[in-house]
Amino acid sequence: MCPMKELVEYVVKGLVDHVDQVVVTEIRNGKSVTLELHVAPDDMGRVIGKGGRVANAIRMLLRVMVAREGGRVTLDIV
Amino acid sequence: MEARQTIEAVGTTIEDAISRGLDALNVQRNEVEIQVLESGSREARVQLTVKARHVEPRTVEEQPAAPSARPSAEVDDSGIAASGDVAAAQRVLATLLARMRVRAEVEARQAEIADAQDQQEGPTILLDIRGNDLAALIGRRGETLDNLQYLTRLLAAKEIGHYLNLVLDVEGYKSHREQMLQQLAQRMAERVVTSHQPAALEPMPANERRIIHITLRNHPGVRTESVGTGENRKVTIVPKSLKQ
Repeated sequence: MCPMKELVEYVVKGLVDHVDQVVVTEIRNGKSVTLELHVAPDDMGRVIGKGGRVANAIRMLLRVMVAREGGRVTLDIV
Repeated sequence: MEARQTIEAVGTTIEDAISRGLDALNVQRNEVEIQVLESGSREARVQLTVKARHVEPRTVEEQPAAPSARPSAEVDDSGIAASGDVAAAQRVLATLLARMRVRAEVEARQAEIADAQDQQEGPTILLDIRGNDLAALIGRRGETLDNLQYLTRLLAAKEIGHYLNLVLDVEGYKSHREQMLQQLAQRMAERVVTSHQPAALEPMPANERRIIHITLRNHPGVRTESVGTGENRKVTIVPKSLKQ
C-alpha cells in the first residue's frame, strides 16, 4: 500500500459525506507519482475547497512526504 | 444548543472581509450572521457568527451534554473547551502525522485567555508537535504548518460536528515567532512616532499580522492597517496624527 495514497484516503474520507464513493488510484512513473481522486459529485466542493484551498493543503502534505525521497507527486481530482 | 462560533475578519472592503471570514470558518455565506463593525476607506472589519447547524447525521455527539440548567451562553463565557474536543483534535492530528509517516508526538492543551478578544472568540485548543527534524512541517513562512492546521481543523470539526478554534505549533516555532513579532511591532511603532512617517512591514500570513495588530491595538501614537492582497498582504503602521 502506497503511504501517500493512504494519506489522501484518510483526509478525504474525513471530509466527505459519501465515504464509500472515495476512490484513489495511484499511477507510478519512476520517481513521480500521480494520485487520481474520485469522489461523489456533491462532495467535490468539500474536497477542493474555496479557491482550491483544501486540495492545495493536501498537495502540500504530500510534498512533505515525497521531499524526503526526492520524488514528485501530483494529485488530480477527476 | 451547540456553542456559537464568532470571529472577526478584516479585509480591504466589506465583501473582502466577509469572504476571508467565510474562508477561515470554511462555511457558506448562508451559514453565518454578518455584522459590519467598521468600514473605512481602506479597511473593513466584520463579525461573523456561525448559526447553529444541524449536526451531521452520521456524527455522534461525543461531548457530554451541558447541564440543562445552565444557558449555553454561560458555557461559552467560561472559555473552556469540552475535554472531548481537545482529545478529538489531538487524535486527528496524531493520525494525520502518522499517515504522513512523520515521527512526532502531539501535546494538546487549552490556551490561556489573555484578553477580552480571546474571551469573545471562545476556547482555543493548542496542539504542539514535538519531535526531531520537523522543519519540513513548518515550510516557507510557516505555509505548510498553516495547511496542516487547516486540514486538522476541518477533520476535527467534521468529527465532532462543530467548528473548533485550534492552533498548531511545531517545537514552539510560533510562540517564538510571536515574541519576535511583538518586539518588532514595538520597535517599528517607536520609529513611526519619532519620524511621523508610516512604515510598512514585510508581507506576513494572517496569524502573524494579527499579532502585530493586537500588540499595537492600544498604542497611544499609532494605528495599524493591512494593505495588499494574498501573499503580499502586509501591515502598515501609521502615526495617529496622520489623517486617514
